Amino acid sequence: MNSREEILGRVRAGLQRNATNAAAGREVMAAALSANSEGPKPVFDTAPQALLERFRVKSELQSSTVDIVAADADVPAAVARYLAEMKLPKAAVVQPALAALDWAAAGLAVEARGARDADLVGITGCFCAVAETGTLMMCSSPDTPAAVSLLPETHVAVVQASRIVAYMEDAWNLARKELGTLPRAVNFISGPSRTGDIEQTIVLGAHGPYRVHLVIVEG
Amino acid sequence: MEIKSMQFKARAAGSLANVALQGNLKNAKGKFVTKRAEAIRDLDDFEGTRDAAAAIRNKVIDNLDLWLERFEQKARDTGATVLWAKDGAEVCRLVIDIAKKHGVKKVTKSKSMLSEEAGLNHALEAAGIQPVETDLGEYILQVDNNEPPSHIIAPAVHKSLDDVADLFHKVHGTPRKTDIPALTREAREVLRGHFLSAEMGLSGGNFLVAETGSVALVTNEGNGRMVTTLPKVHVVITGIEKVIPTLEDLSTLMRLLPRSATGQSISNYFSILTGVKKPEEHDGPEHLYFVLVDSGRADVVGGDFHAMLRCIRCGACMNHCPVYQTIGGHAYGWVYPGPMGSVLTPLYAGIENSIDLPHAATLCNQCGIVCPVKIPLPDLLRKLREKQTERGLRPLTERIGLRMWAWVAQQPKLYALGASFGARYLKWLAGGADRIRVLPTAPEWTLGRDFPAPQGKTFRELYAARRKSAAT
Amino acid sequence: MRVGLFVTCLVDLMRPRIGFAALKLLETAGCEVIVPETQTCCGQPAWNSGDAPGAVALAKKTIAEFEGFDYVVAPSGSCGDHIRTEYPTLLGEEPEWRDRATALASRTYELTDFLVNVLKVDSVPGDADGLIQGSVTYHDSCTGLRSMGIKEQPRALLAKLRGIQLKEMDGCEECCGFGGTFSVKFGEVSAAIAERKCNNVLASGARAVVGGDLGCLLNIEGKLRRMGNETTQVLHVAEVLAGRV
Ligand code: SF4
Repeated sequence: MNSREEILGRVRAGLQRNATNAAAGREVMAAALSANSEGPKPVFDTAPQALLERFRVKSELQSSTVDIVAADADVPAAVARYLAEMKLPKAAVVQPALAALDWAAAGLAVEARGARDADLVGITGCFCAVAETGTLMMCSSPDTPAAVSLLPETHVAVVQASRIVAYMEDAWNLARKELGTLPRAVNFISGPSRTGDIEQTIVLGAHGPYRVHLVIVEG
Repeated sequence: MEIKSMQFKARAAGSLANVALQGNLKNAKGKFVTKRAEAIRDLDDFEGTRDAAAAIRNKVIDNLDLWLERFEQKARDTGATVLWAKDGAEVCRLVIDIAKKHGVKKVTKSKSMLSEEAGLNHALEAAGIQPVETDLGEYILQVDNNEPPSHIIAPAVHKSLDDVADLFHKVHGTPRKTDIPALTREAREVLRGHFLSAEMGLSGGNFLVAETGSVALVTNEGNGRMVTTLPKVHVVITGIEKVIPTLEDLSTLMRLLPRSATGQSISNYFSILTGVKKPEEHDGPEHLYFVLVDSGRADVVGGDFHAMLRCIRCGACMNHCPVYQTIGGHAYGWVYPGPMGSVLTPLYAGIENSIDLPHAATLCNQCGIVCPVKIPLPDLLRKLREKQTERGLRPLTERIGLRMWAWVAQQPKLYALGASFGARYLKWLAGGADRIRVLPTAPEWTLGRDFPAPQGKTFRELYAARRKSAAT
Repeated sequence: MRVGLFVTCLVDLMRPRIGFAALKLLETAGCEVIVPETQTCCGQPAWNSGDAPGAVALAKKTIAEFEGFDYVVAPSGSCGDHIRTEYPTLLGEEPEWRDRATALASRTYELTDFLVNVLKVDSVPGDADGLIQGSVTYHDSCTGLRSMGIKEQPRALLAKLRGIQLKEMDGCEECCGFGGTFSVKFGEVSAAIAERKCNNVLASGARAVVGGDLGCLLNIEGKLRRMGNETTQVLHVAEVLAGRV
């Protein structure tokens, strides 16, 4: 008997599996998978302006910095301003999805591609953002490679205000609606990478970015 | 991992005598407990969320075979390979086979307690494959002669800043630093090279999502993302009990897991990984393997300890356990410490290999109160004590003593006699003082404290006397 | 109202005055209190040590002794909870006994809970006596707190004593390390946990530490004395509330 059969056999024995309880179990399973029922969620104001505000506050609590601009066209200048303030290089890798913005006009040298170790700044969009916790939802694709938000020491993310949802549950529904199936990688990001492994003292910049800057486009 | 749980008592004594460890434990305790208490406050319905989480976990483990089949099917549909391992040896064999198949020389690892159970690092090394632990805590332990973890969330919690400073100075050959950010950067720089050069990434899995065939990973450092994004092969090692139904359920559990574990409202990175890289994608593994591990879990299904399979490995029970807080994780002698470890070790590593563990708890139920999936840990510990007695695993004197005591307590006259004798004996031992310094009948009590003297007569004697005098 | 007083084996052996204090509190509040002579132990030590048959036998004995009363009251959250929560569980396989256990469970109370929530007392006799004066800190024993919800009841009663001020200590809800047989199986660990508790007691600056379970109190007193503290009083809440007995 192979291991799979042996393991499942013992699980079935433990559950005293028979045709009747298997049918009942399948029903429970089918119901759970079709209902997609949600658990209790924290209650807060979900009007668009309130969501934006909550997302901003929660993101800052996660040690991200936040800038708000009026339109997509303002993004490159806002990013350039941030990089200048932080005395960071004006060169960045950008997810291909954002290649169309006029980065050169803002004095930025960007390359639209996947990330490499030497990249110091990575610029990404996001699939949506979750106000509950101040979290970005990143979905991987050829246009939105995952490593751009991971390898560089600085991660700048562009967030459309209209894409700020209240809860993670809303983000799943958006993904089901717009993508059908999940992409290879969904990464929820809440601030810069960190560790508390030495004396439970939180240090920013463990293996991923040291800083995360959010540019929210009000639109 | 070698089981040293039979030496609990000696190891606990060692922990108590270790001044540095006592300081580290005290420091950690305060942080874990306060942060969790703050973090649960912003859930309006914390108790309701715990109920929902327990229900989600029950739903799966009550029909585990069906959910496993469903997950397996879904994962295969996404292009992953699903393998099954009965025990640690099979885990090692499967992982080494995968590594050989893909010509892997180096494996970067995100934290996996199951790989500790299986002793995987050792097996990989023996097969000529280099395992590199990348969670900072695990890395610290690996470069310190493969020291075992003492906590499931913060593996190096027993180490102080000074310990790490000395260690990095020694193994990295760099000037000694005592600045935590600088030490963290030093590890980052060493590990970045490994991330980029490893051909295989190995991770545990916090949850397996049946709806989508995905694995969900909760990390803060970003190492989990590195090992699942950069190498061409990704191997997930998880216990068979880790399945959950839907993405919504994942969201519910995520409201509790980071809050219970580290006091965060959400972890920095929460990754849901499904299938393999498409040809036109820039990153992601080309091969994804799931190794679903039994190692004792299947036998727990449907039995007295079924509820333990709900565990989501948050570590809150140990962070809040007065015993863990006092002796740390190494004393428990295997992979899992604290209350959950005192239940899991006997179940997975053998009840006869861990006789002390179920008794090494005050049954204060602080663990049961904080457990996000409401596992009645004290009840399970008590049940294990019962199993030990049934199997005759307790010392004979203890068993006879208990039986005799229970028998005498059923004979009121005899009991009354025994009690008044006992009260007088203890009073005599105290010799007129208000305390007994050495208690011959229970010497352990007076090792570290006095035993207050009794009044000298029993309540029942005094009460009878009072009734008599009232009657006359 | 006929109340059966479950004295507990530890009070019987070590501190009869706590039993008399409980008696006085209940009688002053107007109860007819009966102390069944044949009572011994509720069986919790057997249950917690893995001796289920012993625990079952003692549970049946206790049920038979106490089921004739309107209420059962114990000056202990731990023993009270054993009757209230564990009896129906441990007799779960014998329907007749389980039903008797359930019936008894619903009428079983810890002393301060009974005084506050059933008798709804306005005053306590200790107030007139003024035997104990000054600041006290309260140790919440684990089972009473977490299983029976004993938290505000003793504090509400202590607040009725004019000469007493409550000074809460840090970690008042943390285990003192007693744990029944744990204290004699793992004496050093148990004493180390007790030391944390005692440090919190001392840091509170209170003149006395008060609690509702004698096991914890013996542990705390034993550790305080071994630590060299001779002045902090260690008292059962019943003693404080009842005054002179
Ligand atoms: S038993 Fe509960 S508290 Fe302990 S690790 Fe598991 S889920 Fe967390």
